[in-house]
Amino acid sequence: MKKFSVLVVDDSRVSRAMMAGILANTNFEICEYAKNSMEAVEKYSALRPDIVTMDMNLPDANGIECSRRIFSINPSARIIMISAMKDASLIMQGRDVGICSFLQKPVNANELIEVMKVVCQKNNSSAIALQDSYVKPFVKVLQKNLFSLVGLHSKVHTEIDESEFLEVDGIAVIIGLTGHPLGRAILHMDADTMRKFARGIIGLQPDEELADEDISDSVEEAANIIVGRGVSMINDVLKDKEMRITPPGTICGHQIRIANAKLLSFNITAKTNWGDFKLNIGFAEGE
Amino acid sequence: MDVKLVNPFIDAFTAIMPQIGFQDVKRNKMIVKERSIESLGVTVLVGFTKNIKGNVAYNMSESTAKFIASTMMMGMPVENFDDMAQSAISELSNMITANAATNLATLGYDADISTPSLSIGKAFVVKISGESYLSVEMDAGGHLIEIAIAVH
Repeated sequence: MKKFSVLVVDDSRVSRAMMAGILANTNFEICEYAKNSMEAVEKYSALRPDIVTMDMNLPDANGIECSRRIFSINPSARIIMISAMKDASLIMQGRDVGICSFLQKPVNANELIEVMKVVCQKNNSSAIALQDSYVKPFVKVLQKNLFSLVGLHSKVHTEIDESEFLEVDGIAVIIGLTGHPLGRAILHMDADTMRKFARGIIGLQPDEELADEDISDSVEEAANIIVGRGVSMINDVLKDKEMRITPPGTICGHQIRIANAKLLSFNITAKTNWGDFKLNIGFAEGE
Repeated sequence: MDVKLVNPFIDAFTAIMPQIGFQDVKRNKMIVKERSIESLGVTVLVGFTKNIKGNVAYNMSESTAKFIASTMMMGMPVENFDDMAQSAISELSNMITANAATNLATLGYDADISTPSLSIGKAFVVKISGESYLSVEMDAGGHLIEIAIAVH
């Protein structure tokens, strides 16, 4: 498998060591470190790494200024901003120079690797920007709410969905996203996972019967909570974007295909003991 | 659900269909339903929200969907319900719902609409409301389309 080279720009030795620890045994290989802006620019132009992780506070310039210099060498450089502070104004300034991904210290290992994978998967700045601002909140709420609703631990991963169809065998709850960007969220799972989830959320004993209408209601309610909270998180950070959700529409059956045309979409899969909970988030192109 | 909220959708359908090549459009039956919608093969769901919230589903058979797509594409033959044909049906659903939203605004209800979700399958059901919803059967040149509307 191809290894991707990473230039780590950070003036703190501890942060550099932590980054080395996270990226050890992954497809991402640290090719060099830079402890200030000047070194970063020199090393970037000499090594042309696939990815740069950029600290915000550098001794001779801030991370945004340093990124601007790197973009002047290579306008399609892939820079991930990592800083202790992550607020809307910093994100806006970063976006203005061309940075698409923003992470907060201390960096969560899985989150960093996922962001790096997406950055490398497709050199598509709109996908990266969407992933960063609009998909990540859903990853968090999916994992958190599976735990708070039914006590389920999950391993979550995200990928860009390049398939023509979303294949559903079981249940899919579709919730529209209005405002900016426009899109939709679909929580779906197979019939077995759906039943286990419904029993769990209602709190049925093993000998108690599960009513059919309770099954779809349970998944619908969970989708409403998860997507609603995800959108609230987005609205809290990006205050100029007022996203809203439409009421859920629920599809049940076998071998259903939901077309993915004209949407840039992402699959978030939460793997649990009860099966996979899948959240597909799609955005209308051009938004 | 208030029946007067259905008229904006019927008017939108009646206004849009002639623009894509269906001159003969009429409304058949309108009924209040409580159970899920049985998909006829192709069902497009569009949500709306703001000071009126709900869902509308456009439900039709695959052969109707292919015929409409073909008519929209100036009679281009549509053998399979492929991505181009699906895109045409999604776009039509979007056009009708956007037009209906404009009509709703004249009644004092603002609504933003979501992107359409087009589902295809042989046996599936679609639930758009926990309570009752209105189902209107529309006839466009002999091709039947069920419009199901739920307002929350």
